[in-house]
Amino acid sequence: MMVPLPPPDAPAISAALTETRVEVTSGFHGARIVLYGAVFNPDRRPSDVVVVVRGPERPIRLVRKIRRAGVWLNSRPVVFEGAPGFYMAASSRPLSDIAGFGVLRRSGIGVDHLRIEAPQETRTITSYGVRDVVVSRLGADYLDWRRAVIRLMEKASLYKVDPKGVRYVDRGLFRAEVNLPTEAPIGRYETEVWLFQDGRPVAARFRPLVVEKVGIERQIYDFANLMPWLYGLVCVLIALVTGWAASILFRRS
Amino acid sequence: MDLYLPIAEVSVNAPLLVALGALVGFISGMFGIGGGFLMAPVLVFMGVPAPVAVASQANHVVASSASSVIAYSRQRAVDWRMGGVMAGGGVVGAFVGVEAFRVLRLLGQADLVVAISYLLFLGVIGGLMLIESLNAVLRRRRGEPPKRVKVRHPMWLYALPLRMRFPRSRLYYSVIPPFVLGVFAGVLSAIMGVGGGFILVPAMIYLLRMRASVVVGTSLFQIIVTTAVTTVLQAGRNQTVDIVLSSLLLFGGVLGAQLGARASARFRPDSLRAVLALIVLLVGLQMGLGLFVPPADPFAFAPGAPR
Repeated sequence: MMVPLPPPDAPAISAALTETRVEVTSGFHGARIVLYGAVFNPDRRPSDVVVVVRGPERPIRLVRKIRRAGVWLNSRPVVFEGAPGFYMAASSRPLSDIAGFGVLRRSGIGVDHLRIEAPQETRTITSYGVRDVVVSRLGADYLDWRRAVIRLMEKASLYKVDPKGVRYVDRGLFRAEVNLPTEAPIGRYETEVWLFQDGRPVAARFRPLVVEKVGIERQIYDFANLMPWLYGLVCVLIALVTGWAASILFRRS
Repeated sequence: MDLYLPIAEVSVNAPLLVALGALVGFISGMFGIGGGFLMAPVLVFMGVPAPVAVASQANHVVASSASSVIAYSRQRAVDWRMGGVMAGGGVVGAFVGVEAFRVLRLLGQADLVVAISYLLFLGVIGGLMLIESLNAVLRRRRGEPPKRVKVRHPMWLYALPLRMRFPRSRLYYSVIPPFVLGVFAGVLSAIMGVGGGFILVPAMIYLLRMRASVVVGTSLFQIIVTTAVTTVLQAGRNQTVDIVLSSLLLFGGVLGAQLGARASARFRPDSLRAVLALIVLLVGLQMGLGLFVPPADPFAFAPGAPR
């Protein structure tokens, strides 16, 4: 693919990952990937770098604990969509100092600007003659729910915002670390490297990152998902043979 | 040495899991139970998602029960016919239980039902067993003769239709009670990930009036069939059986079970029952009391999030 080269006098950014493919094997214990990049800044204006990594989207089901008759129960689960399974935003200073609310929202930079929604809970009504007003069944608590999604994902180290995550190692040369926990979802990730000047994005590069199961892990996972019934039978057979073998072994000794 | 589990998608300490399997196997061999009620809570505590823990350890119960049944069948202590009738019920129960568990997960109420089942069944059975065995221990200390259990044959058991002869147990009555008991154990197997021995054994003695000598072997046979069907159903319907996890557990489990069976010969049965009752009671309370503790975070991910 041809990438249109910027004119030499315009600010530009380039970046590369030390690994573009993370292999999940039996020894997988998370991964640390380093991203290196360079800023071309001919007019020497103050500039900021933001590195965003998004994992594959997966719906999230959330419950709220409610107390009824002295017992803590789960509420009805609420499904949130549009939440990446992994999200990291690293920058050289706090995001709110780099750009305004609207710019960050449009680019989806920062956990508060992710498009996490609960479409099954919303419906459109006509209110005071205004058509297609979107209301949520969660009502005023909606923000609590949405914040809880982010808080729980942060707790599982799947979401992270690091205002000191981008470090300059030399003039114009920066690095950022991506720490994938063991629970990081399998799939295709997108790495976005943004260059901001005067609160506006002036250049961006996108780099894909693939996390996949390989080897025996992959084979077992595929077997269990593609031929689940046969897989179940094999599991039972292994268990029966092991039990039988153990009883023979211990009878002799 | 940490090992990544391909289905559970978490990394666990492999030697620790083998040791856990051995410990639960030891307890299971010692007391003649499956030990599933102990395993599932510990796995969840170690970070394995609850649905995967329940389904994978059902497969572990298959292995440990198989090795015990072979030992019991050599002593002619398995009533195959009675076990077969109960297993038939167990298969029906497993189907019902796996489907019920799916629906409960979708409603977000799986946690609640699991916790209540543990509190109710383990609490009641552990409590009753503890009282009964402590009485027996006290009576022995005082030098009184053990209380004779009167073998009475209740009318209802014999009034039901569809009678069948069970030669090994020397019984002749309707197949409905053992079948219903099997259904019940099958549902529990799917929901709690247990074999159901802790319910089956007392029920077979007190309700079905079976001889104590054949009860454990027969219940283990029924448990194999039920948990095997549960494993296949969980794998087929929910894709929650982790073969690496269950292999680690059963490797330790079969070793522990054999050692436990040997160790049990050294202790008096009533003291053994008292210890088991205490373990059962504690696990039940521990699982159930979680319902009364205010959660640290009012929100939580619903178990079994769609992938």
